[in-house]
Amino acid sequence: MEEIKLIEQAQLGDKKSLEELVKKYEITVYNFSFKICRDKNRAENTMQETFLSMIKNIKQFKGDSKLSTWLYTVVSNHCLMLARTESKHAYTSFEDEEGVINEKKFMDWKVTPDKIAEDKELKEFLDYAIAKLHPDYRVVFLLRDVEGLSSEETAKICNLSVPAVKSRLHRARAFLRNELNEKFNYEKT
Amino acid sequence: MKKHEIICKDVMEHICENLGEELDSPKCAAIKVHLNNCDNCSNYFKTVEDTIQFYKNYNVELPEGAHERLLKFLGLTN
Repeated sequence: MEEIKLIEQAQLGDKKSLEELVKKYEITVYNFSFKICRDKNRAENTMQETFLSMIKNIKQFKGDSKLSTWLYTVVSNHCLMLARTESKHAYTSFEDEEGVINEKKFMDWKVTPDKIAEDKELKEFLDYAIAKLHPDYRVVFLLRDVEGLSSEETAKICNLSVPAVKSRLHRARAFLRNELNEKFNYEKT
Repeated sequence: MKKHEIICKDVMEHICENLGEELDSPKCAAIKVHLNNCDNCSNYFKTVEDTIQFYKNYNVELPEGAHERLLKFLGLTN
């Protein structure tokens, strides 16, 4: 059944349609939750809370935006709220822009992204690097670059202007690139 | 019109801000020319793209039993 029909049926209280919508988006929601919080238990908890919110509010869904965009918004808000309640974590500051981008000699990397599936150590390093990035920047990077949403959609979900999205994206990309570069160690200082 | 004088730092900032966006302004055109002629910037561009791809390729499976736990949590089990 088309998504719009499923939503209409779900709005009328049809459990089968709700289940279909859950089935359609559970992997997307779980993956996105994991990518923000980097913890499987938290990701599962966020997924449960997100779909609970969807069921509670499905009658208010008017179809102005895609259901997926709405789910991304719920996941982002939930994860950012969790992060703020434990704000003791020392995230990297971006006040010193010169520290983010400099003009050293840049070399290509010998490790390619297709190796990720088989490399546990590489996954651990990717987790470590992105965990240092403030969640406000992490969410923008994940929505725009990893999930492939537009700058406009990302801005709407994060309640930011498009220039603010680009600014955060700029810093997040440069920061993560520099972190990975240090690990791969092919850049001589 | 003032000619766009591009240096590596401009290119790196531009790559980080605008990768994936429409690149048709005069500054973008100048940056493309610079990228084609500067190994340093070209490598930087490639490693930023690789950074994104590393995180795109890093996906996780739904844990065993998570689907059933979700349906139970939502009261959607028969």
